[in-house]
Amino acid sequence: MRKKLTYFLTMCLFLFTLTGCMKQNIAEQDIVERIEKEPTITWGVKIDTKLFGLYNIEKSEIEGFDIDIAKELTKRILGPKGKAEFVEVTSKTRIPLLKNGNIDGIIATMTITDERKQVVDFSDVYFEAGQSLLVKKGSTIQSIKDLNADTTVLAVKGSTSATNIRKAAPDAKILELENYAEAYTALKSGQGDAVTTDNAILYGMASEDSNYEVVGGIFTDEPYGIAINKNQEAFVKEIDQALAEMKADGTYQKIYQKWLPDATNEAK
Amino acid sequence: MDFSGAFSWVNIRFLLEGLWVTVQVAGISIVLSFIIGGLIGLVRFAKIPYLSKIVGLYVEVIRNLPLLLIIFFTYFALPQIGIRFDIFWSAIVALTIFESAMLSEIIRGGLNAVPNGQMEAARSTGLSYGQGLWYILIPQGLKKMLPPIVSQFIALIKDTSLAVIIALPEVTHHAKIIYGQSTNYVLPMFVAMTLLYFLVCYALSLVAKQLELRFK
Repeated sequence: MRKKLTYFLTMCLFLFTLTGCMKQNIAEQDIVERIEKEPTITWGVKIDTKLFGLYNIEKSEIEGFDIDIAKELTKRILGPKGKAEFVEVTSKTRIPLLKNGNIDGIIATMTITDERKQVVDFSDVYFEAGQSLLVKKGSTIQSIKDLNADTTVLAVKGSTSATNIRKAAPDAKILELENYAEAYTALKSGQGDAVTTDNAILYGMASEDSNYEVVGGIFTDEPYGIAINKNQEAFVKEIDQALAEMKADGTYQKIYQKWLPDATNEAK
Repeated sequence: MDFSGAFSWVNIRFLLEGLWVTVQVAGISIVLSFIIGGLIGLVRFAKIPYLSKIVGLYVEVIRNLPLLLIIFFTYFALPQIGIRFDIFWSAIVALTIFESAMLSEIIRGGLNAVPNGQMEAARSTGLSYGQGLWYILIPQGLKKMLPPIVSQFIALIKDTSLAVIIALPEVTHHAKIIYGQSTNYVLPMFVAMTLLYFLVCYALSLVAKQLELRFK
């Protein structure tokens, strides 16, 4: 028994020293310096989210608002020869992948929060999102105030929307599902009364089936930002600059209109 | 609800591409974990001083960790100490680490189930310990081990779906992308996945049954 314990402790010690000694070389490289030599930026994107990043099986490529923004940013930062590469991320893997240097930036419907700011840096806001509710047409729920102990709200695990709905409607029952598609299916099969998440994603769901609608407007302010690893100030600056240029010359508005015509009408 | 679009040729082909990745990852992991698990089982059975204890510790630690943690570890933690695998190989390495520990216990158990007298008889006829293992104990033990080994392999095939967490493009992952296109596809995709996993696993158990018959 004692011997076993000694082995175990030695192994732990060995592992800890190993992790302690070695440095993350790739993640600490300055991105701006690197892309001067090899003009490729690797973006972490979603590939299962309608309107923002969805893999088109027929064309074998990823499409969406996030993707077009990433392509445009790459073109502006690197010039016409620049290449944008895409790596799939989920809500759970995006930050570890960024920290390990697998990706240079995250454009994956990621809300800017103070908590996340402690781990990563954010660019300026590239999309003004806010949380809303999707219900069946004719539902008694018409806004966040109609949620009570008898209603079940469907949310997605690991996203900010689950936390927000707990604060906004503390009485309502909350059921957390793996992703948006599963939450929508749960709504259709009657496992809940409303789906809550960012409005733009809800518009995507509503566009699929005219029996469902987005109600109650936005009850939170959750701007999407592009996340970059810490100590990459130069790269963040270049992204912010490119973003400002896109907004100034109308490219940004074109991309917005292309993917989110519904949100454009409702917003302002 | 309209299900017809879910099984378009493009979607089916995409799903089968995913299945091919599942089969590849499972196949390579099965071969690697069988070799490594076999060696570990033999070393533990033979009670080699120090070495048996060290591999015993490995088995105890790995066996008691969730596979999901090991997958995360190989993909996110190993790069921090300079070992970098792509998604495909991370999944294989994680599965091999986990399943070899499980298999080694099955193999050790199978060898232990062969009566002691067999080895003694082998030694008394002049065979070395290694020869006794190879010609006498392993063939007898294998018969007893086969059913639990096959169960473990089937579990391994199903465990590949856990690698969806690191976005391994296997069948579950591809099904997710298909039902991302339209929420009408969720149910058909679950049915399709059920069918595909069952077919692959059932095929393996049929092969195993043939093997068992041959041993008898």
